[in-house]
Order: sequence, then structure tokens, then C-alpha cells
Amino acid sequence: MFPFVCRGIMRAAIHTRRIRGTLPGRLLSSCDGVPAGLADADTIFALSSGHGRCGVAVVRVSGPASATALRCMAGLTRSSLPPPRKALLRCITDAKGKEVLDRGLVLWFPAPHSFTGEDSVEFHIHGGTAVITAVLQALGSVPGMRPAEAGEFTRRAFQAGKLGLTEVEGLGDLIHAETEAQRRQALRQMSGDLGRLYQNWSHKLKRCLAHVEAFIDFSEDELIEDGVLNQVDTSVCHLQAEMERHLKDERKGERLRSGVQVVIAGATNAGKSSLLNTLCQRPAAIVSPMAGTTRDIVETALDIGGFPVLLSDTAGLRDSPDVVEREGVRRARERVEQADLTLVVVDCAHLLTDAQQAVDVLQTHLMCVLSSQEQPETDRCLLVLNKSDLLPECERQKLDREMRRVSGLPPVCLISCHTNDGLQDFLTVLHSSVKTLCGDPLSGAPTLTQARHRAHLQQCVAALAQYKRHRDTDLALAAEGVRLALTSLGRITGRVAAEEILDIIFKDFCIGK
Amino acid sequence: MAASMKSCSLVNTFRGCEQSASHMLTKKRPLPWSVLSLLSRRAAHLARQQYDVIVVGGGHAGTEAAAAAARVGAETLLVTQKIQTIGALSCNPSLGGVGKGQLVKEVDALDGLCGRAGDWAGIHFTILNRKKGPAVWGPRAQLDRQRYREFIQSELLSTPRLTVLEGSVEELLVTEPNPEEPGHHRVTGIRLANRSQPITASSVVLTTGTFLSGALFMGQTMSPGGRFGDAPSSAGLSHTLRERLGLRTGRLRTGTPPRIVKDSVDLCQAELHLPDTHPTPFSFLNKHTRCKPEEQLPCHLTTTTPGVERVVKESLHLNCHIQQDTKGPRYCPSIESRVLRFPGRSHQVWLEPEGLTSDLLYPQGLSMTMPPDMQLRLIREIPALRRAEIHTPGYGVQYDFVCPTQLSPALQVKNTQGLFLAGQINGTTGYEEAAAQGLWAGVNAAHWALSLPPVALSRTESYIGVLIDDLVCRGVTEPYRMFTSRAEFRTSLRPDNADLRLTLKGSEEVGCVSSLRYREAVRVRDSLQDALAALHALTLSTNKWRNKLPGLQMSENKNTLVTAGELLQYNHVSFEMLASVFPESLSPYAEFSQRLKIEAVYKPYCDMQKKEIERIQREENMSLPQDLDYFSLPVSLSQEVREILDRVRPSTLGSATRLQGITPAAVVNLLRYVHATNAGLKGRTHTNQPERKEERDEERCARNASLPQ
Repeated sequence: MFPFVCRGIMRAAIHTRRIRGTLPGRLLSSCDGVPAGLADADTIFALSSGHGRCGVAVVRVSGPASATALRCMAGLTRSSLPPPRKALLRCITDAKGKEVLDRGLVLWFPAPHSFTGEDSVEFHIHGGTAVITAVLQALGSVPGMRPAEAGEFTRRAFQAGKLGLTEVEGLGDLIHAETEAQRRQALRQMSGDLGRLYQNWSHKLKRCLAHVEAFIDFSEDELIEDGVLNQVDTSVCHLQAEMERHLKDERKGERLRSGVQVVIAGATNAGKSSLLNTLCQRPAAIVSPMAGTTRDIVETALDIGGFPVLLSDTAGLRDSPDVVEREGVRRARERVEQADLTLVVVDCAHLLTDAQQAVDVLQTHLMCVLSSQEQPETDRCLLVLNKSDLLPECERQKLDREMRRVSGLPPVCLISCHTNDGLQDFLTVLHSSVKTLCGDPLSGAPTLTQARHRAHLQQCVAALAQYKRHRDTDLALAAEGVRLALTSLGRITGRVAAEEILDIIFKDFCIGK
Repeated sequence: MAASMKSCSLVNTFRGCEQSASHMLTKKRPLPWSVLSLLSRRAAHLARQQYDVIVVGGGHAGTEAAAAAARVGAETLLVTQKIQTIGALSCNPSLGGVGKGQLVKEVDALDGLCGRAGDWAGIHFTILNRKKGPAVWGPRAQLDRQRYREFIQSELLSTPRLTVLEGSVEELLVTEPNPEEPGHHRVTGIRLANRSQPITASSVVLTTGTFLSGALFMGQTMSPGGRFGDAPSSAGLSHTLRERLGLRTGRLRTGTPPRIVKDSVDLCQAELHLPDTHPTPFSFLNKHTRCKPEEQLPCHLTTTTPGVERVVKESLHLNCHIQQDTKGPRYCPSIESRVLRFPGRSHQVWLEPEGLTSDLLYPQGLSMTMPPDMQLRLIREIPALRRAEIHTPGYGVQYDFVCPTQLSPALQVKNTQGLFLAGQINGTTGYEEAAAQGLWAGVNAAHWALSLPPVALSRTESYIGVLIDDLVCRGVTEPYRMFTSRAEFRTSLRPDNADLRLTLKGSEEVGCVSSLRYREAVRVRDSLQDALAALHALTLSTNKWRNKLPGLQMSENKNTLVTAGELLQYNHVSFEMLASVFPESLSPYAEFSQRLKIEAVYKPYCDMQKKEIERIQREENMSLPQDLDYFSLPVSLSQEVREILDRVRPSTLGSATRLQGITPAAVVNLLRYVHATNAGLKGRTHTNQPERKEERDEERCARNASLPQ
């Protein structure tokens, strides 16, 4: 580490001059297709193919360390990079070349003839979760590599002039979709134990940083107790130890559950729990004719046409004076917010026979159920009209006909959990929705997320070591360590702005000068 | 008459001083100059009706602005109410500090005045945070008020192309905009209260400080004004800004403590604080300060008592400044707000000298606005001040500021061509913050007047850039003060390297740096590079190093080759130690020993920041047209994002990304409307259209082989 760092000094000395000289020309050069200024950027990697069951998965790598990664992991010596853009069958190993992870194809795209304009590598491997996880972890251990952020490949491609302006619009949408998917996923994680743990760390680090900053910016003239830094020392030590333990012990029990998150929601007594029981073919949830029977979330894992699904039944949405039920409703709304797919269950006896009025009622109801989502997404929901057995046959057929005709609603299924009438049709619709979601590379990517978390946590631990190294000699560099740690953690829990640190400073200390 | 008497004594003082301080590398002044030439010079310019740049206000922002505009080459007029208050330190008699010291160094690196003035007027120099690392060292000095004013006045009055005029600005003259540039108005000059003829200029810099609709508060009395003893400024200016130009304004408050008669203070009861034994000058041009080490004056520290808290509480009903809810700072609060916010604690009070010959003390931390009799009661609750007499009571000021998000990074009002604002009018507090903005506004006002492209400083290269970026992107909710924690790239933006960061740019791109300073900066840069190269060329095995430097503690047990540069990163290794081993190659660089040590230690961390810096600079080189209609842009942006963009009108993609509420997707969609800026051309250039040459087959094949996801 040490000699490596020193070699950088000379380069940087020369570089400082270059930055000033050529500053305004940078964008222009990127228009010529030369990725100027990106030459020494990080090397990024990500699973580029879809999640869910697939025969082959593609892991893409882009950046200056791509060739290194290819050499380490495909058992290639220095002289023999494969011919550009030709598939080569190799044993794919971990970064040290010791353990064989898979046998698959590797492709080498030297700059600038690649999608991103940088050196790129693709690994075509078998699609099992274990293989993908192993390959991503191996890539993460190659120096200079990190998991890609949302839309980063595409952004790099744009910056290298590989995408036209017409494609930018699509890029914006793509990044929006990716960040939306990540946001949903983050929300999901944040409400779990893991999320609470990370939030707690982030909170502690924020305080540490604020206290170090207060000591730097104010202690000379202010009454900032000398004990402040000692507290920070203790906190940093604890945090570092805790994170190291967390990284070692994989916490298998806390691993993210994979699968599509399907949530059943709706008014009370619509038959949500019956739907759950019908789908999992066992009485997983208590059902009764009384409104408000279900209070907590009932979860069950299902296999729908080969796709893993985590089905949650939730409390009926209504205003209730009962504290326990109110909590249940809150949890239900939270779950809807995190859902990949929401099944909105409606008692069809509440629908009037007039088709247009029924549509209006359903639309209003839908908005009410999905209101906890930031932007209600009707394309990620199915309407389930339950209790069709209670309608007279002619009414039922009329409603069924009308519902097939109307537009402006998500797919509608008329079923009876009591008689299983219409269930087969519903399963077909559910299957195709789940399939779309699984084929969508954006929905829940547990392995990728885990690799990302791991990389960021490792950076966080390393940065805390920087604090300890400089604590007694250079507080500015020590503070930089805490700041880096917080930034790394922030990539998991959300960003931290400078103003937030100042707020803590002013809350905790009386600053007078 | 009073003014010329003052100038007279000023000249004499100066002539005397110049001799004793001949070692100071200040800019060559046409000295000795006479009162006669001063007066004739002023008189000669009275006839003139037209300038390139007019600066209104003679405080820290105004003086830096005027001097900078003149250095860039603009014919400049500084208008102030009283020439004798130019360069006055209205509040605390000190300069620099943690974060603020960095600003002083940067202003100096751009050839501004305040660093050299501080070296001239300083009477107590300290480097704050000495033990906390060079990135956060805070050079600071107590100043002699008289000397500071003298330096600034003599510097301004001897600056070529700069005229100083006494007068009160009645009106800002505004007309139709130049249609080729963005903006709804164009400034054409000013009208003075006592003259019917307007004075015209291409640019006007307003540095009105606390005078814009300023009101002074003491006890239950309120009087119009911006500083005790000075006439209030005319309401016309405030009216033009708000009504004619439609600028959004807000109101802020600040205050100053009573001045105390030194002889009446029992300093034995306070803790003595001595200055550094070797004063470190602010300016990169100075090797020494004017004040000799042994001539420096001490400061004293004391604390408040429960009695102070009692007096504050008893006087609350008599204190209308405290009762009004205008935004005051969380830092630099009055003793009233400190006591109310943190009751039951004792608060620090610094007793600072006001000058070598002054018989007053400045009680830092006792800013207050209660009636004078209560002020006396309050200070006498502090043991050291038990018999203290008040010379001038403290008071509060409330004043208007212009919401700074209406400014461009050049500190120009976005909707008014040629109008620049700097200092407290932008919602900041502090001399250093004002000076930094003043310099940059002055530079850009001159650039505008001379049809040169606007210049910007990035937050990745300077604290000035951080200050301006925070102001124009985020605005202020309380008086803005600089802290080192505001600078993300603090490890790279150090006080020691401000010259390398800014002087060369200031000379080559901005044109505000004298050739003397430029040559010095080039010499320093080259020497540092040569020295670093020499350090890395010197390689010995660890065993040999241990032999040559017996005290050396190295963790590596193996016997490997280590360069002198690597060794210098160790805590206990100094450049002098290495120079003693290799005198022939290293002793030429002895004068840079401290800077080399800092460079060696910080370089690895600066390198780590470089990537992030480059990313930001790339985005800052992509400018967003100022006249973009965000509400009708045919891209998918949420209404909320459109509103934010329309309100703030970020000038670059970089600043757009830092706005609260802007999503990554919005940034990417904005890329469409981005323009590449080119420092050589004024205004907008061609769009960022990647003009692709015909793709060769191979290229197309490459793209197809690796399709976007």
C-alpha cells in the first residue's frame, strides 16, 4: 500500500497542472468519442442480465481494471488477452485463480470499441444464484473494482459519446426506473432488522463526524469539552468492530428474501386472507366473517409458475379506534409501498351493476389503497373482485363482460375464494405479471445488492481505520476518514449533506464566536 | 476638510512606516506621495462622468471589488459615504480564523488586499488548530484598526485606474437589456444624492453591507442606519432593487458588543493568551509581518457568571432587537441569545486589544442590544470587568439582503446585466466572506465591462468557490459564515497551497494578479515540483535509512527500498532530517521544508479525492442556458423538479445536481439542454451535440457486439 501511494505523488504533481490547463476542453473532447477524464475512473461491474430463473447470466465489467479482472478470473497470462470481441470458453475462478467458480464464456472489448467506450469484459456464466454471487464477489475483490451504481454503464456510454442525444431521454427513464426499483428495495430493506442496523450506524457516524467537525471548526475559541474526541474514539472503535463482525458473519438468517413481493391489500372483509389461503392451499391466515380479523402481516412463500413469490396478507384498510388495528393498517400501507405487485381485493357485492359507475368506484378505491406509494402505479397491481359466488349468475356474467371491456383499470379478475370459481384465470394473469416482473432486470436483485452492501461496508471499515491512524497527528485527515465512512454507508442508507452535520454541531454545542 | 486632515496624518504615518518595513514585499506604491497629489487626483476625476465599473461601498467587499476591477484593467470608481471610513473594521478587530483564514489566503493568492493589510496591521498573530493538521490550520490576527484602515486607504488611493469618490448613491440607473445576453434589465450607472448628473458605467457592484434599509437597535430605541455614527443610506437603492428589478429580499440581524475602556479592566482576573512567538504572515508575498514578534499584544480570556444571565433575563422586556424574529446567526450570537439558548452555563468572553495605541478593549462574545445602563450592569457581573467603563455601547443592526439564489456564480444578478452584489447584501457575515465575494464580483464586473467572458471558481478548487456555490445554489436562511466542514475537498484546499491553486489561474485566466506575484507563484510551483522529484529520486534501503537517521522508527521489518519522499510521510520525519542526509540535492529547497512535508503527507489523500473532483468539474463545465423555460421542456421532469429548477436557475449541470429535490433522472434529462462552456468565448457556445463522424464498420460492429442493457 505504501509504495503504491508514493508513486502517485509524482503523477499527481504533474496532474495538478494539467487540470487547470485543460479544464474547459473536457466536455469537447468527450464529444469526439474519447472518454477524456474517465481514463482513471473506477472500474464497475454488475449483473447485466435479468434476475429470476435463467440459463445464462451476463456479468459486465467496464473500466481500466477490466483487463486485470479478466486475466485473474479467466486464468489468462499477461500476453494472452483473448482476441477482441471473440467469445472464449474458460474456467472462471476467484480473483486469486484458486477456486473454480464456473465454466463459461468470456468476451474482451478493448476501448474504445465497447458499449461504454472503456475497456470492457463480459462473463457469460450459468444463471444460478450461487454462481452469480460468487462471480460478483470475486470481481469485488479485484483492486479498483466496485459494483456499478444505477444506470452507470449507460451514463458512461453517454459521456464517452457512445449514445446519441435521442437516446438520452431513454437513459433518463432507465435511471428513473432503476432508482425507483432501488428505492423500493431500499425501503424494503430499511424496514427490516438489517436496515435498522445500517441506519443506526449511519446515525452514530453522523454524530461522530459532527463532533470532530465541531472540534476542528470551533474548539479553539469555544467551550468544547476535551472529552468530545474521546467519545468519538470510543464510538469509532465500537462501530468498526461491529461492522467487521457483521462482514465476517454473513448473517444468513437476515439475508434478503429473494422473490417478487406480492401484497394483498384492500378494505376489511373483502376476502384478502381467504385469497392468501386459497393461493397457498392451506389455512395460513385466520379467516372469519368479522371485519378486521387480520391485524398483522401474514407472509408465505409461493412458487407461481416457477417464479419465487413472497405473498403478504395485510390488515384491511379502514380508520379504526383500536390501537392494534391502527398499527396493522400502518404496516399494511408500508407493505403496499414496498410491493412489486399489489393485489387489490374488492368485495364485488359493493359494485353497482352500472359499468361506468363500477369503474369509477374501483378507480377511487385503487387510489385509496395505493395512496401510500409515492406515485401510485396502477401497472403494478391487479384488481381481484372476490365473492363472485354471492352474485346471481346473470349479474356475475354481466360484470365479468363489462370488466373485460373497460379501459383505464389494471387487469381485473372476478373470482370466488369460496368456490374457486375464476381462480384458474386469475392464476394465469398473476403468472404473467410475475413473469414480467422477474424478466425485468430492475426488480429485486438480492445478489447484486448484497455485493454492493458488502463493498460499501468494507470501504466504510477501511475509512474508519484512517480515522484511527490519524487521530493524534492530523485531525483533518482523521475527520476525512469518518466522512468517507459516512459516504460509503450513505450509499446504502441515503446521502448525508454537510448542512446536516452543521445542524448537529449547533444542536449539541453552544457556539459563540 | 475633516477628510483631508485625516489623509494628511495618514500620509505621514505611512512615510514613517515604509522605511521600517522595507523588507515587506508589498506592491510597489508611488511613495512618498503627497496630500496635494491625492487631492488633485480626486479633483481630476470629479469631472469624469463615465467609468467601466462603479463600486458602491467601501467596506471589505467594496474595497476588494474596486481594487480587483482596477487590477483587471477596468477604469473603476469607488463611491463611499466617507473616505475616512474606507477599510474600517466595523465590528471585531481581527482577521482570519478557522475556515476564514483559508479565505484570506485565497484572496491574497488572487492579489487581493486583506492578506497584506492583515500583515501590516496585525498585532497578535496565531495559527489556530495548530495541532489538528495543516488542512484546517486557521491563520488569525488581532488587528490595529487604525493601521488596517491606513493600509487599505493608501492601497486604494494609489491603485492605477481607481478613483475614490465621497457621496451617497440615490439611485441605480437601469434600462432595457442587451438582447444578445440573458436578462431583463441592464444597469447603466448611478445617480448621487448631491449631483444632478448621473455617472455611467457598464457594471455596478453593490456592497452596501448592513446599510440596505438598515436599522440600529439599542434597548427600546430604533434608528435608521447601518453603523453607529454613519448616516443611513438612501431608500432609493433598496426601492430600485425590490420594485424596479423585482428582486426577492429578506431581513437579517447582527450585533456588536460595547467597547470597554482598557484602564478600567482588571486583566489580572482574566486568563492571559499570548500570540505565536513567530508571527506567520497571511500573504504569500510577505516573509515577515510588520509587527515584530516582541511587539505583539496579548489577548485575555474570561467567562460569564450567573449574574450575567440574570441581567439578560431582567432586561428582556427592554430589548426590542431580541424580541423581533428576524433571522440571526446560530454562530456569533448575542450574549442574550447564548444565555437564553444554553442557560445555566458560563460562556467565554475574549478581551481583545483594539490597536497598539488604542485605549479600548473589544469584548468578543458580549454582543448585546439592551439599554446602555443594563449593558453596564451586565459587564460588571464579570469579575475582570467589575469596575469597567463602557466607551461605546453595543447595538444591534437589522438589514435587508438580496436572496443570493438570484445571482450567477459570477455574482451578477441574473436578471440584470452588469449588476453585481457582494458581501452582507448576499446574506453572509464576516470580513473574510465579504472580501472574497468582493474580489470575485469586482473581477467579473470588470470582465463584463471589458467584454471578457465571465470567470467562475469551482468548489473543488477553492473556499471562495464553496462560498459562492453555497450562496447561489442553496441560498441562506441565516447569515452565512465559512467553516472548513463546508468544503468537501478540505484536504486539497489547504491554506498552504492557495497560491498554487489560485495565483496561476488568477493570472492566466482572470487577469487580476500582478506580474510580481505571478513570477513568485511560478517560482514556488517549479521549486516544489523539483523538490518532490528530487525526494523521489533519492532511494535507500530501509537499513541504510536507519543507519543515516538513528531515531527512525519504521514498521517494516523487511529490508526494502524506500524513497526520501516516502519517508517524509512518516510523522516524525522532517524535511530537515532528510536534507541533512542529502544536503547537496535537498538543501536548495530548505525554504519550502514545511510545504514539502505537508505535500508529502496529504498527496495520497488528495489523489483519492481527485476522481470526485474531476467528476464535479466535468459537470460544472456543462452550462445550462439561463433562459431555459423549465415548465415547457419536452422531457419527463416532475412538476416539483421544474419548479425548483425555475426558481434557482442553476447555471451548470454541476450545481443542478446539488440542489435539494433534484433526482438523478432529472439530471440526465437535463443533459440534453447542456452547453459546453469554453473559457475563450463569451456566453454560450454550441450545444453538446456529439458530432459523430461516419462510423467505420469495425466501430459499428463493436457497438452491436455489446448492446446497452
